Amino acid sequence: MKASMFAGMGYSQRATFPSTWPVSPVHADPETSVQSYREGMDECQLAEEMGFDWLSFSEHHYSGRIATGTPAVMASAVAERCKKIKIALLGHLLPLNNPVRVAEELALLDNLTNGRLVAGFLRGTPNEDQVYTMNPSEGRGRLLEGMDLILKALTEPEPFSWEGRYYQFRTVAVWPRLVQQPLPQVVVGTRSDDTVRYAAEHRLGLGVSFLPVEETAKITDKYRAWCEESGWTPGPDHIVYRGSIYVAETDELANQWFEGLMQSRPEPNIPMRRTVAEAIQAARTGNVFDLRGVVAGSPEGDVVGNSLGINFLGGPDTVAKQIKEFHDRCGVGVIDMPFQQNKVNHKAVLEEIELFGREVIPQIREFK
Amino acid sequence: MSPQEQRLEVDGFEVRYWESGQGRPVIMLDPTGLRETVLHDALAKNYQVVTLELPGTGDSPHNAASESIADLALTAAKAAASITPEKYTLVGTSFGASVALWQAIQSPEQVEALILISPMSINPQHRPAITSAESAHRVLFAHLENANKRVPLSQSIYDQESELSRRLGVGIHDGAVEARLKDIHCPTLAIFGQEDHFVTPEAPRVYREKIPNCNIALVYDAGHCIVGDRPEALVNTIVDYAEQWETFIIGHQSGVINP
Repeated sequence: MKASMFAGMGYSQRATFPSTWPVSPVHADPETSVQSYREGMDECQLAEEMGFDWLSFSEHHYSGRIATGTPAVMASAVAERCKKIKIALLGHLLPLNNPVRVAEELALLDNLTNGRLVAGFLRGTPNEDQVYTMNPSEGRGRLLEGMDLILKALTEPEPFSWEGRYYQFRTVAVWPRLVQQPLPQVVVGTRSDDTVRYAAEHRLGLGVSFLPVEETAKITDKYRAWCEESGWTPGPDHIVYRGSIYVAETDELANQWFEGLMQSRPEPNIPMRRTVAEAIQAARTGNVFDLRGVVAGSPEGDVVGNSLGINFLGGPDTVAKQIKEFHDRCGVGVIDMPFQQNKVNHKAVLEEIELFGREVIPQIREFK
Repeated sequence: MSPQEQRLEVDGFEVRYWESGQGRPVIMLDPTGLRETVLHDALAKNYQVVTLELPGTGDSPHNAASESIADLALTAAKAAASITPEKYTLVGTSFGASVALWQAIQSPEQVEALILISPMSINPQHRPAITSAESAHRVLFAHLENANKRVPLSQSIYDQESELSRRLGVGIHDGAVEARLKDIHCPTLAIFGQEDHFVTPEAPRVYREKIPNCNIALVYDAGHCIVGDRPEALVNTIVDYAEQWETFIIGHQSGVINP
């Protein structure tokens, strides 16, 4: 089994942010910001030294919690410091982006890293639908078409025009060509049946994030069944699970941290005004949202968001056992973990990476 | 105005054709005759459009005389020349595209621009034997619901066209035409459905590589019958190309939201 570190590149003072999304840029002090990215790159470098297999970067906008709105830029900077590890873009939010531009970024990264790229495609969380004012009801269609177009753009050696539903490009001729032929490993990050089936039918990998093991297994079981239907069997690297982690020297220390975190009443992840959150969800599902029907919230703003949870928590042996469950039950071959948790500072993140590399990676290597 | 059915005699065949519109001439070779009018009607807004029923296809009588696709293309060229003395844009669909390729090679003085819709002359995909009109109909589309919106060919027309296709070698790689692609000097567009399983994914690039002035267009989420799966995309692309040829790649849509 392989280990991947999700490089969030968070702003070091993120614990002081107000409970909003987007976070106002006024909270970004340039000096602190520069230092935060340097610290993030130090974490990447240590992860490589400690034997991690991948570094992953993900597109998230308008917040310093995960501060990589343009993940390819971040990944290329890190790839210059980390010369051997796989660089995984997990990934671009396709509905928001020009797919040809994404293909160009991926192709360039594969060249800059001399074939160390792993590519990932995502729809994104509902808040991301606001970023470039995309109609949320079109997100799934844009994702499906975007994947087709990117795969074609990366593999077609002659110029072509694309007549899509959402995209029309009369000349597509992506340079440079990929180092990894015909394609690098591609991971589709999803929980939805249609995109899981797409991954299976196109012989692509599957990425599942933050779900408990049994819910993850329901998705990976479908994926593997559809892969078999499509005439192939996914290998261990084809199933990637992203889960949050806090690892300490002992279970007791890890639990103490978590209890302290809960007592401090942490803010929800991706907090948004309730009206906005519900309007996006209604638009995504094709339902009507009646603003007048919503009872007004508090003067400060009625805020909703996902509650904070930790997928892997404990000392090294406990964490290894928790990861093994995903391996055994879900067929996960790559575990992708953000170590930059709420109220965990840079020094503590470095200690966790070092501990994980020393105590956990040797154990998960044996999961075959 | 709906297309007017007319007939002419050529090479011993009585050839039906449908004509409407005014402007520069466009000749369409569609193996189904005028069962599908959306593209004809769209082009007829700006052009004199003529859809020819190739001998042996559609409701025309059995064609035992044509000995090759090139031979059939000579007949089509004679028919077109008797309808218009001008150079024309030639549009061929599927089997009609195979004929159009030979027509452009053999009668370059007639063909001003060439548009190939789902051509199968180069690198066709091997398909298991299909014997019924209904099963053949289903595999033409990317989506079954689109197939269900249309009535399949009658079994008798399907049998007649299948026999003609087999005899002329339609659906088999045409090495002779591939060797002559370099001789097509008119602006050419080859348009494929992204889910067209009648040709290999590598087929489109051969046209681009070998025809000196060729553009390739891929229609997302469309099968071999592009007009059945994505009619608007097909019409939009072909209308643009017919008007602008290779300069159709230039964007003219305004991006202004609030001037």
